Amino acid sequence: MISEERRAEILKMLSDGVVEYQEDQVKEYSHVAVDEGLDAYDAIMNGLAAGMEIVGDLYDRQEYFVPEMLMCADALYAGLAILKPHLKKDDSKGVKGQVVIGTVQGDVHDIGKNLIKLMFEVGGFTVHDLGRDVPLEKFSEEQLRTDSEIVALSAMMTTTMMGMKRVIEMIKEKNPDVAIMLGGAPVTKDVVTLFGADGYAEGAGNAVQEAIKMIGQLRKLNRDGAPN
Amino acid sequence: MATMTPKERVQKFFKREPVDTMPVFSGMGMVTVQAISQMGIRFCDVHGSAAYLAESSKLSSDIFGFDAVIVPYDLCTIPEAMGRGCSTYQDSEAILYPTVPSKWDNLEAVEMPSDWMSQARMPLVEEALRTLVSANKYAVGGWVLGPFTLGGQVIELDLLLKGLKKDVEKVQAFMEKMTRIVIDVAKRYQALGVDYMTVREMGSGTDLLSPRMWKQLIQPYLREVFAALESPKILHICGGTDLIVEAMNDCGADALSFDQKNNLVETRKKIGNEMLLLGNFDPYGTLCLMEADKVPEVIKGCLDAGVDAVWPGCDIWPEVKSSNVEAWVRTVREFGHRPSPAVGRI
Repeated sequence: MISEERRAEILKMLSDGVVEYQEDQVKEYSHVAVDEGLDAYDAIMNGLAAGMEIVGDLYDRQEYFVPEMLMCADALYAGLAILKPHLKKDDSKGVKGQVVIGTVQGDVHDIGKNLIKLMFEVGGFTVHDLGRDVPLEKFSEEQLRTDSEIVALSAMMTTTMMGMKRVIEMIKEKNPDVAIMLGGAPVTKDVVTLFGADGYAEGAGNAVQEAIKMIGQLRKLNRDGAPN
Repeated sequence: MATMTPKERVQKFFKREPVDTMPVFSGMGMVTVQAISQMGIRFCDVHGSAAYLAESSKLSSDIFGFDAVIVPYDLCTIPEAMGRGCSTYQDSEAILYPTVPSKWDNLEAVEMPSDWMSQARMPLVEEALRTLVSANKYAVGGWVLGPFTLGGQVIELDLLLKGLKKDVEKVQAFMEKMTRIVIDVAKRYQALGVDYMTVREMGSGTDLLSPRMWKQLIQPYLREVFAALESPKILHICGGTDLIVEAMNDCGADALSFDQKNNLVETRKKIGNEMLLLGNFDPYGTLCLMEADKVPEVIKGCLDAGVDAVWPGCDIWPEVKSSNVEAWVRTVREFGHRPSPAVGRI
């Protein structure tokens, strides 16, 4: 069994690799984690995801901007690709649910959406990614098909934001319990209220921040045990 | 008091000569559903006809009393001419702007057809501009995307952003290519007689890029663009701009335009009173959501912050409330007779 000291060392290399967007380092230490018997879930949550939390802080302090975050995300994905196949079946206890995600019709910008998708994936959600420029009715259809608890909609421009309102109406009409998250530069608290959504993140960066906070909560739950 | 025609008002405004009152106009799209429905057409059809473009912009100004007309309304005309296609959403009942459906998958793959300036809707936009210029009623605004924003229309933006860290030379070559295109189109529109040219580097705010990266990736190419163009030429950027105001002011534009995220009072301090400052109300919130009686407060807020003209922060969303647009125009007319920092009054 791997020593606590070695575990901490590997997790730090994974976390640092994400923060410093060193894809090769993340790959190397993901393999090391697997080879030395470190639990894959532990490596993902306390190595890769922990690194992404630091990235969130750096973004908050305006030390990192979107380009850096994209490269951190690449490093994180590189590690996930190696570690995910080694997750044990009972790690699914960490799964918090399913989310349908996409960029609304008329909008072809998906950087924010892809970052959020990554955060959901790291957090253990099953993500149904509809892509970008998605016809509005698709969101509702996919939510019903997958019985997802969350639908996350993104619009980068004011000119496409109005589509979100229609999607929310369609989803809530069929299933009022679905939580709907909005994201994107033009989305404000007023828009969320007006459209009848449940939450929002202002801009790609803040959306990521919100998701990172969520991951932080998940990691905490994982450490402390989920409340009954 | 002598009164000016809309065209004279805008022309003198940009020369910083005294005007009778503040012009009401924008460098971004100002088409309204009121004009579209009066024409009996659908929004998705307006983009494909020179006559529709010219008529819808003119009608919008006729209805609301704007001083200028702007065409086209969508961002896809150049990417479409470059061979990337255009989705117009003919089946959608909602108002959707056209988008570019396909992008090149790497920076080196970008190849321009030799006759791209005569492809797709490029000739149609020129015809619409010619019609509006020859009508000689309103000032005619032309616009182009900035090199980075145009690049983001034809290539995945993350390639460009990550490329800056990983492959600087390829990014620079790509940006040079985009810069050449922007200059060629803008000069062509200027040759047609447009009264002002807005360069919309809208996706380059500090929500996305650090100020350091802005100076590295955006500023050199904007300088190249503005050096090649005649006045009046305006630089507009959406989103976070407070950290790059000085750098924007050092690109060679005659005027700077900001969206609602900018702190105009601080910006005016940074750029001084000689520079034309344009902005910065939230177009959707102010013209579509708000109660009309709240609009004057927003417009007066812009005036008090020291703008030379009250511009929306982006294209106005076509489904405006008539009463809100009327309130915008009325408030500017009422309070705009006072001189602004850079422009006096007759």
